[in-house]
This record gives sequence, structure tokens and C-alpha cells, in this order.
Amino acid sequence: MAPEHAVTVLLDDALVTLNRAVGLLRRRQVPVEGLVVSPSGAAGLARLTFVTTGDPAVVARMAQQVGKIVGVRDVRVASPGSLSSPSEVAP
Amino acid sequence: MTEVLTGAQIMCRTLVESGVETLFGYPGGAIMPFYHALPEYPTLRHILVRHEQAAAHAADGFARASGRVGVCVATSGPGATNLVTGLATAQMDSSPVLAITGQVPRALMGRDAFQETDIVGITLPITKHSYLVPDVSELADIVTEGLAIAQDGRPGPVLIDVPKDVQNQKAPYTARPIPARAAVEGGSQTVAAVRRAADLIAAAQRPLLMIGHGVILSEACEEVRALAEKTGMPVITTLLGISAFPEGHPLHLGMPGMHGDVEVNRAIQQADVIVGIGLRFDDRVTGNTAAFAPRAKIVHVDLDAAEIGKNVPVAVGIVGDARDVVRQLVEAVATRGAGDWLGEIRGFARRRAEQFRGGLSPETILASLYAATRGRCTVVSDVGQHQMWVAKHYPYQRPNTHITSGGLGTMGFAVPAAMGVGLARPEETVWAISGDGGFQMNMAEIATMVQERLPVKMAVFNNGYLGMVRQWQQFFHGGRYSCTPIWSPDYVKLADAYGIPAWRVEEAHELPDVLARATAEPGPALVECVIEQEANVFPMIPPGGSLSEPIEAEPAAHGA
Repeated sequence: MAPEHAVTVLLDDALVTLNRAVGLLRRRQVPVEGLVVSPSGAAGLARLTFVTTGDPAVVARMAQQVGKIVGVRDVRVASPGSLSSPSEVAP
Repeated sequence: MTEVLTGAQIMCRTLVESGVETLFGYPGGAIMPFYHALPEYPTLRHILVRHEQAAAHAADGFARASGRVGVCVATSGPGATNLVTGLATAQMDSSPVLAITGQVPRALMGRDAFQETDIVGITLPITKHSYLVPDVSELADIVTEGLAIAQDGRPGPVLIDVPKDVQNQKAPYTARPIPARAAVEGGSQTVAAVRRAADLIAAAQRPLLMIGHGVILSEACEEVRALAEKTGMPVITTLLGISAFPEGHPLHLGMPGMHGDVEVNRAIQQADVIVGIGLRFDDRVTGNTAAFAPRAKIVHVDLDAAEIGKNVPVAVGIVGDARDVVRQLVEAVATRGAGDWLGEIRGFARRRAEQFRGGLSPETILASLYAATRGRCTVVSDVGQHQMWVAKHYPYQRPNTHITSGGLGTMGFAVPAAMGVGLARPEETVWAISGDGGFQMNMAEIATMVQERLPVKMAVFNNGYLGMVRQWQQFFHGGRYSCTPIWSPDYVKLADAYGIPAWRVEEAHELPDVLARATAEPGPALVECVIEQEANVFPMIPPGGSLSEPIEAEPAAHGA
């Protein structure tokens, strides 16, 4: 079974940004479970959290694609035994 | 100085102060306040198209030819939805386009009002960014930021949806400085990666350079040429990389992929190092990725980190602006020659002998066009067989003189896009080359050219078929030409109805005179080339096939 990764996205607390981020997951056919949107604690920013499965390199690329969205501030992927951000997994 | 302006006036003022001079658009109910304000800003030239799709393509053509943001304007509902194909085209080809759409007043939004559509929602996957303006106080900042986002980094389309009542709202306005374009940051990883790439090139026996649209976008053509000449690496240009390297250069090979020449694709399959710059290794380039370049270590340079390793495995990935990275590469690589490799590649070439009615082969037409314009011409092609012939046979010498819809493959692109290209390059002849299918999609824009005095020259390759689809039907569907024969009007009479000169060419010997006369026309002109009905584009890699297995001849005649 493909490993699970917990992805945390810090993004502008605006529906259009959230819509764009979630739409990307659908469009790129990212398997998603347990998607949660919650306050981030920082003014104007929300936190989108979900679990995905797949090859770490594929998940890292998805994180880069989410990270390109205007209004997304940070993307972190927690994989079994590791914690990395897109800048750390980029080639 | 602070003034009180309407939202519509603020939109115009911000565009003017950001350096925008040309808009392509079509008025309608929800964008009327903007059009009411427009005459107060005479430096904004508005081109009234005949369909909003053309406005988006023209803005795209303007952007590609000028390197600046192309702006299109439409009303809500059908006006906005008609922009969709043009925005998707711009998104796929990384073109900086700003679309401004009117929206129904805020009080009516969400109530299925007349001409209400959720255009922000509709265009989310095909725009780099989008805004629904909530209040006039944010309008100027949004327009300024939208223009910047469209062109900074990897360019792309941005949409700004402005409710009609926001256009009528008043607010204080103060002129603001245009923000400087964001600099691309070179990572600390770049230096080490450039070193590794230089080492790979030094050790290679069969290296290749593959260059794409990113080289044109970052204006890295000179640097790429220096890299090729210092290392002797033969150069392959993708469909959108064509013209980034002179066709006549001894190191130039041609276009790869589905319709790439045999020697180009064989070179890829034999290469031991491929340096790819500003391309995304799209499926039309790679064929079956599992069989792509099986011997090669790939160095991939791209501004967009998410592109590196997306389609093909990469030995060295370098995230950065092509010009900056290639400059570093030129310094890092050792001088070397092409050795026997170039001769080996030339030895892969196959010559084809084909007959064309009236001698009117695509090569002959395009060579005549080059001669008639003395190469001082930008060619805008549409999508289909003629697009591949233009890509393979027109002898491009100057950067960014080949403009086409690559990623989305949008038929109907050439004619409206050429209007934008012409406005960006008023000193240069612009030829739009289309097939009879694509031309009929947007030929209503001839009226725009006449009304707005846009001297676009149009060539129609008329074979009476949707030729590329017919070719696939011949090769892969047993020759069943389902719905691909296409009737055309009399194009000479059509042109006459619009009051523009036109010629029908059926023999090759007519070409030099007709193309010279059309090019010399001060206004738009049309040339119909009646070509072989069932000519095919060869060679062809079947969809999903390996670059090693091209189709090089007609399939055996199919049974009844």
C-alpha cells in the first residue's frame, strides 16, 4: 500500500484561494482523504489539511503545484518518518 | 494628487498608468460603465472584435509578440464565457493576458440574474489568478497587481471580474508608481547544479540541447546560441521554441516529437545527455515517456520548479530564469566540438519524394512566403497539418517570429492572434496561416481588420478536409473519413464582400507574384492556396508510441 502523507497548506482565508487549491487536487487527480479547513491562528490566513497517498516524489510535486497558487503561503508534507517543505524536496 | 473617480475611470487610469495602450474587447450590459469612461482616455486604443474569443486570442498574440500584458475586455455572461478558450490557450502556453469582465451588480449576484455567470469559478483551472472585485476601494490595487501577476515569473492569464455597480461606485484615486517586475531569485542550489550539468556535458559523447518557449520568454536566445556554439551541442526546438535558434545554423536540427523529422527523434533516442531549457517535455514531444531518450541523462532548466521531473526523470534540475541559468552554464562548460555526433545525426535523415497538385507543396509555399517577405515577417499559424508544415519548413531566422497555439492546440487561433501580433509589431508584416477548417472558425475577424485598419495578411491552406483529423482517420481508423470533408465558401468572393483583395493560387508558379502583391498591400489581404486534398504530415509517431517507431509512408490501402 502506498504511504500516507499529511499535507498542511497555509493560505489566504478567501474562498477563491481555497477553491483554487481544492480544484487543483481534483484536476490533478490527487487522492484526498479527510480534508479539513480550519482557522490558522494568524489573521487572514486559513489552514487546509488533508491526507494523501502516493509516491513521495509525486506528492512533493503536488505540493509544489499547490505552492504556486497565488495566496498559498506555505505547504508542508509530513510523511512517515520525515517532515519536509516543498523547498526542501525541490530538485 | 487625489481625485474622486468612478470605478470605471479608475480601471482606465490604472491601465494607462501601467503602460497599457491596446485593449481588445466587446461591450455589453454589465461592462457599459467601463465603455462609458473609455473615450476619456484616448491613449487606450480599443479594438472592437466580432467575438470575444477573438479578443482573448488577439490579447494573447499581442502579449507573445510584445512581451507585455495583452488585455481583453468582455461583458458578463456570454461575453465572459466566450473568453474561455482564449484564456485556456494563454494558460497552456504561459502567455500574460489580463481579462477584464463585467459582472451583474452585487445585489443581483447569486440570484441567476440576466447574463450572470460565475466566470471566476468557470476559469479557475485555466487562469493563473483571478479576482472578483468586492468594492471600488480595492479596484486600483487589483488591476495593478493583476497586471504584475500575469507577467511575473512564469506568465499566465489573470481575470478580473468587476460588478457593474462597482464600476459606477466613486472613490478617491491617487496615481501610484508601477511596481517593479519581481526579480527571479537564483537559489544557492543553482551553482552546484550548474556545475553538475557542466560536468555531464563535458563527459557526454552525444549531447543535445532541447529548447522551448521559456527561451523566448526569458529572451535567452543569444545565450543559448553561445552555449550551443561553445559546446557543439546540436539544437532541437520544440513547437513553441521554434525561431529561438536560427534554422540555417549548422547546429540546428529541427522540431522533435510526433511530427519531428526522423533524424531529430533518432538523435533524442541515441543521445547520452539532453539539456532541456524552458520546455515541459509535453507528450507531443516525448511520445511514450517510458521509451523516451532511453540512454540520456536529462538536465532540465525551468523557471517553474513543478515542471522539473513532472513528465520525464531528470538527472539535474535547475530552477531559474533561462537567461540567467544559461549564462552560468556558458561560463561553466568547457569548449568542445560536436565531433562525429552531428554527422551521425545528419546520416539518420530520410528524404521524402512526394507529389503535390500543381507543385503546390507546403515547402514551396513557405519558401515563397519567406522570399516575398525577405524574412521580415512574423508568421502566426493555426492548428493542424499546415501548423506542422509551417513549423518544419518555414526558415525562421529571428527570435519569436513564429507564434502558434501549442499546448491547447486551438483551431481558430491564427487570425485573431495575428491582429494582436500586428498591433505589437506595426513595422513588420504579419501573416496568419490557417487551414480551411480553422480559418472558418474566426474568419468574421476580417471585419475587425477592415474597421480597425489592421493590415494582417492571411493564407488559407485549403484541402477540403479537416486535414489532420482526416490523416488520423486514414492511419488509425481504417480510412473512414467521418465528418472531415469540409465545404468552404469562395474565399475570393468572401474577401470581396469585406472589400479586401484576395487571390486563389492553384499552381506553384503563381506564388511569387501573388505573395509579393499581398505582402505589399497596405491593408489586409487573403491568399487561398488550393493544396493536395489528401496530403499527410510525415513522419508521424502514433499517439502514445515511441519516438523510435515513426510512420513514414501511407498505410496500405484499406479494404472496402
